[in-house]
Amino acid sequence: MTPAEDFPIHVIDDDAAFRRSLVFLLESMGWRVCAHASAEDFLAAAPEPATAACLVLDIRMPMMSGLELQQVLRQRGWQVPIVFITGHGDVELAVQAMKHGACDFLEKPFKDQVLIDAVGRAVKLGCEARARNARCEAAQALLDRLSPREQEVARLVALGQPNKLVGRALDISEKTVHVHRQHVMEKTGVGSAAELARLMLRADPAALD
Amino acid sequence: MPALVASRRLVRALCLVLALTSLACAGQPPALAADKPLRIGVLAFLGTEAAVVEWTPVLRRLQAALPGYAHTLVQLDHDGLQAAARGGELDFIITNPGHYVELEAALGASRILTLDVGGGRVPERALGSVVIVPRASPLRALEDLPGHRLAIVDRDGFGGYQLVWGELDRLGIAPESALAALREVGFPMDGVVDALDGGQADAGVLRSCLLETHPDWAARFRVLSPRAEPGFPCATSTRLYPDWPLATLRHTPPELARAVAIALLGMRHEQDGLAWAVPADYQAVHELFRRLEIGPYAYLRAPTLMVLAERYWPWVAGFALLIVGWIAYTVRVEHLVQTRTAALRAALAEREAMEARMRGAQEQAEHMSRLSVLGELSGTLAHELNQPLAAIANYANSLVRRADNQRLTEAAVREAAGEIAGQAERAAGILGRIRAFARKRTASRETVAPRELVDEAATLFRGMLAHAPAVGIDEALPPGTLIEVDRLQIQQVLLNLLKNAWDASRAQPLERQRIDIRLDTDADRLRIAVRDYGSGLEPAARERLFESFFTTKADGLGLGLSICRSIAEAHGGRLSAEPPAASADFGNAGALFILSLPLHQPPPGHTTAHLAPEQP
Repeated sequence: MTPAEDFPIHVIDDDAAFRRSLVFLLESMGWRVCAHASAEDFLAAAPEPATAACLVLDIRMPMMSGLELQQVLRQRGWQVPIVFITGHGDVELAVQAMKHGACDFLEKPFKDQVLIDAVGRAVKLGCEARARNARCEAAQALLDRLSPREQEVARLVALGQPNKLVGRALDISEKTVHVHRQHVMEKTGVGSAAELARLMLRADPAALD
Repeated sequence: MPALVASRRLVRALCLVLALTSLACAGQPPALAADKPLRIGVLAFLGTEAAVVEWTPVLRRLQAALPGYAHTLVQLDHDGLQAAARGGELDFIITNPGHYVELEAALGASRILTLDVGGGRVPERALGSVVIVPRASPLRALEDLPGHRLAIVDRDGFGGYQLVWGELDRLGIAPESALAALREVGFPMDGVVDALDGGQADAGVLRSCLLETHPDWAARFRVLSPRAEPGFPCATSTRLYPDWPLATLRHTPPELARAVAIALLGMRHEQDGLAWAVPADYQAVHELFRRLEIGPYAYLRAPTLMVLAERYWPWVAGFALLIVGWIAYTVRVEHLVQTRTAALRAALAEREAMEARMRGAQEQAEHMSRLSVLGELSGTLAHELNQPLAAIANYANSLVRRADNQRLTEAAVREAAGEIAGQAERAAGILGRIRAFARKRTASRETVAPRELVDEAATLFRGMLAHAPAVGIDEALPPGTLIEVDRLQIQQVLLNLLKNAWDASRAQPLERQRIDIRLDTDADRLRIAVRDYGSGLEPAARERLFESFFTTKADGLGLGLSICRSIAEAHGGRLSAEPPAASADFGNAGALFILSLPLHQPPPGHTTAHLAPEQP
C-alpha cells in the first residue's frame, strides 16, 4: 500500500511513550508519520487538510478531547479520515465518533495488524476522497466558466430535454437555445447531453435533483 | 387408816389451805397469834400417802410447844409447794423423799426429822412399792412385764411409780418403751385396783402396805417379784426407802428449827398417832434419782432426738424451717451467683469475640475500602497499564515488521529495545503501587510531618490517574509540626477525599477541575482541608455521608467515607464535611472535607532544650 502523494499520517496522543511507539510502528510500514502531544498542538501546526493522509486520534485527552477535535475539523470542512483510539471500552463515545464520520474505532489493547489495516483503510479512503474532491473541483471549474443562462440551459439539456422544450421552459426561442447549447459544449468540452449530465453530477451530486 | 377414806374425794390439783391456825383453837388470844409466823407446807398427796388429818397432831404439838408463834399448816401440791417455798412463804416443809431430794438441790432444803410411822417400819426403810397382777395372770416377775399394760397413779408418784421404775431399770427394762401401755389412773391409788378389776391393765403399782388394807387381797391379786425385806411388815416388789422428811429452808432461823425439832421429837405413836425420828439417810433416794436421771439428776438424761423433738417440736420445726429457708436461700443465691457468673463470663467472652470480630471486620472493611477505591480507579488503572503494555507490543511488532520489510536498522533496534525496557519498568511501577496500597496490614504509628504525608498522597493520587486534576497544596503550619499516625491509613483517607473530589468535579469545565488542600492548625489539632469546586453536596447528603453503604455514586460501595471517619476517630481525630467558604473564582461551589488530627506533642525535655538554648 502506498500512501498517495506521500502525505503524512498524524498521530495525536497525550501519552508520549505510546505516541512514540505508534510512530515507530507506522513508520515500519514505510509511512510518513507526524506526532502531536495534543489536539491543540495539531491545530497549532495546522497542516492543510489535503496534506493529511489520516489522523490516529486518542479519544480521551486532558484538554481538547479527540471528539472535540473531530467537531472542530468538521466545522472547518476538513474531511480527514480519523482512526480513534481509546483505552476504555466506551461504546457511547464510539457511536458518537462513527456518527460523525470516523473511519474506525480501536480499543486498546489492539493488535498491531488491526491498527495497520485501519490506518491503511483510512489512508485509502483519504486518497479516494481527495481524488473525488479533485474531480469534483475540476468539473466545477469547467461549469463555472458558463454564464448563468448557459448554466440553466445546460441543466435542462443534461436532464435530456429537447431544445424546443428548453426554449419553452426558459421562454426563449429554440434557436437561441441551440446557440447556448453550442457554447456549453465548447466551454466544458463534452460531446453529448449524457456527458454533460455526468460532469454536472461529478461537480454536485444533487445538481439534477 | 380412816384418814385415807376421808380424803378420797379430794382432787389432786386442788390447793387446800387448812384453816388450822391458832385462831381456830379456842382459848388462844388473837394478839399472840400475830407475833411470829410459823408456816409449814405439806405435800398434799391428796389422801394417799398422808392425809390432812394425820398432820393435825403435828400442828397441835407445835402450838403447845411454841406458843409465841402464829402456826399455819398449808397443804400444797407438788408445784405449789415448790413455788411457796421459793417465794419464802414457808418455814418448814413436809414432803415425800423424792420431792425432798429435788427441793434439796433446788432450794437448799435441809431435813431435820424423818417421819416414823411405826408399825414395825423403821424410818430408814419405810417406803416400797408392790406390783400386783390378778390372781389368774400368767405374769410372775417384773421381768415378765414388757409388752403388758401397767396401771400407775402418776408418773411423778414416788411410791406410786418411781420406785418400780427404778427396779425395772435395774432389770434393763425401759418402761416407757418396753411396756405396751403406762396407764395413769390418778388418785386415789385404789383406782389402780379398779383398773385391774376392770381389765384396763395387766398389772398395777401400789405403795407398799396399801395392799394390805384390802382384807381379801391375797385371794384376788398376786405380787410380782416379792422381796423378803427383814422386819418389813408388808409385801414389796422394790427396795425400801426412807420415809417422809421434815425439812427447813434456807431462811428458816436455826433456833426455830432446833425448837421445832425438839418439840416434834417428843411426839409418841401411842399418843399422837405418829412420831418423828432423827433424819434418815436419803442417799438411796439420790441414787435412785440418779439412776433414773430425774429430779435433780434430770440433767444427766441424754435426751434422745425423739424426746427433744417431742418436747421442742414447734421450735425444732421453726428452726428446721429456718434452716430449710436458709439452705434454700443459700442454694438460690449460689445458683444465682453461678448463673450470673456464667452469664457474665459468657457476656465477656461474647464481648471479646465481638471485639475480635469487629477488629477483623474493621480491618476487612478497610481492606475492602482500599479494594473499593482500587475498583473505582480500576478503569483508570487499566488505562494506565494499557499504555506501557500497548507501547511495548507496538515496539516489538514493529521490529518484526521492519525485519520483514528489510527496514531494520541498528538505530531502530536500539530505540525499540530501550523503549520496551522503559515501558516495562513503568508498568512494574504501577503494579507495585497498587499492590502496596491494596496489601492487608496491621496498624503501626509513626511520627511524620503532615506536609510530607499530603505530598505523598497527592503524588500517589496523580500517579494513579491519566489526567489527574491540579492539586494545590497550601501549608500554614508552624515549623516542626508533627503528627503521630498510621501513615498508610491517613494516606488512604486523603486518597479517598481526593478521589471523591475528582469524581465530583470530573464533569465540570476544565478550570473547575481543581483540588485545593490547605494545612493549618486549630489549637492542638492539625486540620487538613480538601476543597473541590465540583457538583457539591446536598445538605441531606452531607448528613448521611459518613454512614456505611450510603453513596451518591452509581458504582460506589458507600464504604469509603465511613471507613475514613473511623480511621480518623481511631487516631483521636475527626472527619467532617462542611459547607465550603466562597472562593474568589467559583463562589461557594463544591465540597469541603476537613480531617482534623491531634498534634504530636514532643517529649517536654526535647522541646525545652530546643526552645531555650544555653546562654554563653
